[in-house]
Amino acid sequence: MTRLAPALAPLAGLVLALGLLAATRGLDDLAREGQLGPGFWPRLVLVGLATVCALRVVVAWRGAWAHRVADPDAAPLARGRLAIAVGLILLYVIAVPVLGFPLATAGFIAAFMIVAGARQARGVAAAAVGGTIGLLYLFVRVVYLPLPKGAGPLEAVTLSLYRLLGIF
Amino acid sequence: MAESLAYLGVGFQNAFAPVNFLMVVLGLAIGILAGVLPGITMLNSIVLVLPFTYLMGIVPALLLMIGIYCGGVFGGSITAILFNIPGDPMNVPTAWEGHPLNRQGRARYALGLAIMASAIGGLASALCLAFFAPPFARFALSFSTVEFFSVVVFGLASVSVLGHASATGALISLLAGMFLGTVGTEAQYGVERFTFGVPFLRTGVDFVTVLIGLFAIGEILDQLAGPSTQTAAVTKTRSVPRLPLLDLWPLRGSLIRGTAVGIAVGGLAGAGATVSSFVAYGLEKQVSRDPERFGKGHAGGLVAAESANNGSTGGAMIHLLTLGIPGSAATAVMMGVFLIHGIQPGPLLFTRQPEQVYTLFAGMILANVLMIGLGFLAAVVFAALMRVPASILNTLIVVFCFIGAFALRNDMADVWLTMLFGVLGFVMRRWDLPVPPMVMGIILGPMAEQYFLTSMVSHGNDLSVFVTRPVSAVALGLAAAAVAWAVWRSQRQPVGETAEVPNPTKGSPTPGAR
Repeated sequence: MTRLAPALAPLAGLVLALGLLAATRGLDDLAREGQLGPGFWPRLVLVGLATVCALRVVVAWRGAWAHRVADPDAAPLARGRLAIAVGLILLYVIAVPVLGFPLATAGFIAAFMIVAGARQARGVAAAAVGGTIGLLYLFVRVVYLPLPKGAGPLEAVTLSLYRLLGIF
Repeated sequence: MAESLAYLGVGFQNAFAPVNFLMVVLGLAIGILAGVLPGITMLNSIVLVLPFTYLMGIVPALLLMIGIYCGGVFGGSITAILFNIPGDPMNVPTAWEGHPLNRQGRARYALGLAIMASAIGGLASALCLAFFAPPFARFALSFSTVEFFSVVVFGLASVSVLGHASATGALISLLAGMFLGTVGTEAQYGVERFTFGVPFLRTGVDFVTVLIGLFAIGEILDQLAGPSTQTAAVTKTRSVPRLPLLDLWPLRGSLIRGTAVGIAVGGLAGAGATVSSFVAYGLEKQVSRDPERFGKGHAGGLVAAESANNGSTGGAMIHLLTLGIPGSAATAVMMGVFLIHGIQPGPLLFTRQPEQVYTLFAGMILANVLMIGLGFLAAVVFAALMRVPASILNTLIVVFCFIGAFALRNDMADVWLTMLFGVLGFVMRRWDLPVPPMVMGIILGPMAEQYFLTSMVSHGNDLSVFVTRPVSAVALGLAAAAVAWAVWRSQRQPVGETAEVPNPTKGSPTPGAR
């Protein structure tokens, strides 16, 4: 497996490059006589990418890169914390248009801080509330950025919050 | 020369306008802060303030960026010296020499040397930029698309060589970035490429989403995936720096060599401050009478690395302003600021907007002078700020990234792209794929395509034009030599040993620990 692991990423890159290369078919249909079409450049880049990925697969298979990925001195990967962090970030992006920026951001700051190692409930709450209010003043009131207000009744909640804070 | 001085005078008048002056100071403060705080690099901070520049004029926006650039390049040296935590990879040589000096009880001396070397290196670099950029721009005006293509190729090729241990890893990253640059509606024929029916991809992948995702989110995920990230390691210190003007005189040779290397290497497209500091440090070790003292607190090594760091800033700006080609990831973001304000950097900038250009030069000179005072204050104050928990910092960075991506087009699709590139950035770091080449690829790739296709139309698809024109031939020759050297170096590198720039977030950067 230590031999296979370093080859997986370049192998995926090789397969992706070849798949995208196939998608360049038809791009040159509109090309004028005697001129290079819009498919030429991406095809050149993808051939280069496939070649370098193939080279790296071969070298990785021979074990030359095994030490880079399977470094025995490397710090262990905190897979659980990483998965939760990625999940929280994706959940945040999903939640903002639904809940609105203020509610989603306050929740995200609290949750992400805990995942990142914060343990004091008061500190987390203060950062979540204070941070969100600060960001709202800065970006909605000062910069006039139309941050998402939420869907349905939650939009009214966001607008009420803006009025309460004197932002609108 | 007289013309340059006259324009520089106008530039200083503009730079001292209250708003512009404030932007320089604010930029310096943000840059130094970003350099000091763990997990935030100078590049991150430039990216994070990008949304704030949308509503500014071009001059204050760029002065803010220049302040961050100059301050950020210096800022990481404070933590490198005090805590052995380089703020950026470019500050690693500073940690190698500065922290041992700190442990010998000479923190004030080391901090003072770093402040003065950075300021003098940056000042010399800015003066070079002010007086030598115009002739370079005039020379650049004689370039056709053939020469521009070759220079862009040289920039792309040098990315694959400098600062990366794995040539193939850098090439994969670079080519992937160049591919991303082809996504969207093609300019000449109006054909959609690789949009797969997704509407927002018709306008292409915005490089800002790639930048924010790869650098900021990717870095945070990388930190979270490692050991405990609650607080940065802090060493209690009461050291207040002093400005060692007299102490610097015996080290003038190191200072001159470091500054010269910084300007020269910074002038190479794709190089930048990290390469400059390592090259200057290596050169200093070569010429030193006492090389055995390197790694044990050698003041000359510290001065050379720090002066090269900031010396590279002017060199990197020459490419951006005269050719419209960013010489580093930081100047790539600055190019974004130009483009956001509808201005195309390049040779014509000097004839169409000379006052704005010289205001930038004046701002850069001003920033390096002000850095002495601000750097001094920062060294005292930021030791306390190092205690801010990483959990708060990282969380707020994610929210700032969200806002920065959303503000591009008020479109959640850009936020999604940013977060996806963040995950990609983490994966790339873990799989030995350097991130900067991808950013260079997505920015320089479309330029290379445009120059290449225009050259082919102009010269009847005759490829020989790239080698029959002298400047083009030299640039392509240098590009070929750069790639050949990278491959040769990769072949010579024994298994189990990497020449990669040590990652400051992963382990001690001291030579003895490597």
